[in-house]
Amino acid sequence: MINIALPKGRLGEKVYRLFESSGYEFPGILENSRKLVFVNEALNMRCFWVKPFDVPVYVERGTADIGAAGKDILMERNPDVYELLDLKAGICRMSAASLNGFVDDNEKTLRVATEFPNIAKNYYSGLGRDIDIIELRGSLELAPVLGLSDVIVDIVETGTTLRENNLTVISDIAELSARLIANKSAYKFKNDEINEIIRRLGKNVNKIN
Amino acid sequence: MLLLPEEKAALSLRELYSSFGYKFYRMSRFEEYDFYADKKDFLISKSVLTFTDINGRLMALRPDVTLSIIRHVKDTDLISKFFYDEKVYRVPKNAKSFREIPQTGIEYIGKLSVDGLSEVIELAMLSLKKIADGRKYILDVADAGMISKLLEDFRDSHKRSEILKCLSGKNIHGLKSLNAPEKLIRLAELGGNIDKDINELDGSLTVSVLKNLKNYHNEMRIDFSAVSNLNYYNGIVFRGFIQGIPESILSGGQYDNMMSMMGHKNAGAAGFAVYLGLMERIS
Repeated sequence: MINIALPKGRLGEKVYRLFESSGYEFPGILENSRKLVFVNEALNMRCFWVKPFDVPVYVERGTADIGAAGKDILMERNPDVYELLDLKAGICRMSAASLNGFVDDNEKTLRVATEFPNIAKNYYSGLGRDIDIIELRGSLELAPVLGLSDVIVDIVETGTTLRENNLTVISDIAELSARLIANKSAYKFKNDEINEIIRRLGKNVNKIN
Repeated sequence: MLLLPEEKAALSLRELYSSFGYKFYRMSRFEEYDFYADKKDFLISKSVLTFTDINGRLMALRPDVTLSIIRHVKDTDLISKFFYDEKVYRVPKNAKSFREIPQTGIEYIGKLSVDGLSEVIELAMLSLKKIADGRKYILDVADAGMISKLLEDFRDSHKRSEILKCLSGKNIHGLKSLNAPEKLIRLAELGGNIDKDINELDGSLTVSVLKNLKNYHNEMRIDFSAVSNLNYYNGIVFRGFIQGIPESILSGGQYDNMMSMMGHKNAGAAGFAVYLGLMERIS
């Protein structure tokens, strides 16, 4: 039995469609219900929805053999798993943004608001910049507008929300997209099954987007 | 039987190691903190649990066994073979507090020959077989020296660690986007038939050791995701997995680097640790 953890939400649905078009179907999985676990006996596979941020935990601890997780979440949690395929779904960027016209003059500690403290810490320590991390749970655009922070480190898709709040990207930190991850031990002992899934998904990743 | 599975396994491992001529090494649970302070690069967990002794000296609960054993070896012209069955104190990754972790293992210290290294790997295979108790098991083997060499020109430590992270995650698309050396990407892709993959390795000690262990090839793979701390390991490195346990239960390798850091300039050493606490996670 292969266990698959998918992130609940828009990204997960996109990834599920990729599975479906590659021959891995779980009837009823996209219907609006509270059911979380779906089994396909014929394929000997089980698929479940979990919170996007938790996918790496399920995979690292072996409850799921494989899973799909955004690169942002992988960078933030840094799980000990294999990252085997770029699923090329949900392509966007992790960027640092500030109010239009802001110049970082290095005179003060840079105040950084973010939902991704580890990503922010790693990025700025790579630059050797001293920062003060302010961890928030959303509506990050507000932080520089109200003076809570100098910059934000956040996911940027189209940039519309930034523009509407007079913010602008000052640097790109990473390219993001969904990745297929696998538990290290499961990949040893279910190697043929997992490689077959990767082979089939890999053939379709470019068609889906 | 009153013994827990991990206690039973520990006993059978002790039996195995002493049958190969390894001597039991018993040590104190704590050392002076100073001993670890300048060796942080070699420790798996950077946090050390400390307390003040009655004479005011700062002491540390042992975070690592190998360092303590090397410290007590005087003469590296002779070969010393030890095994231990101890507890170490570490903060596991993502944990919020210290944990006591049982650790059983061996150290082979002195001049390293092909035969000596082969014996260490053979014992790793036999240990896995004993613990697996009928389940499948696999030993991933790689050469840390080859990776160090390939990364010699990468002065940027940030990029180096990014590349090493991709290597340990078999992240081929990541290695390509970091412009990692071609050869390193090829090594990262290995993990199939060992007799074919062996041709990708340089004429190193690792190759001779693997050729020496043909009887074990069914349960061995050449897999460079086993490469971890390049400060610690310089030659062959390996990691053992057992079906049903979600993480590696055995890890080890050749650590001449650490020997020379501890003042034994031309000495070699290899060893491994088994984390029997993981046996309760068997599903």
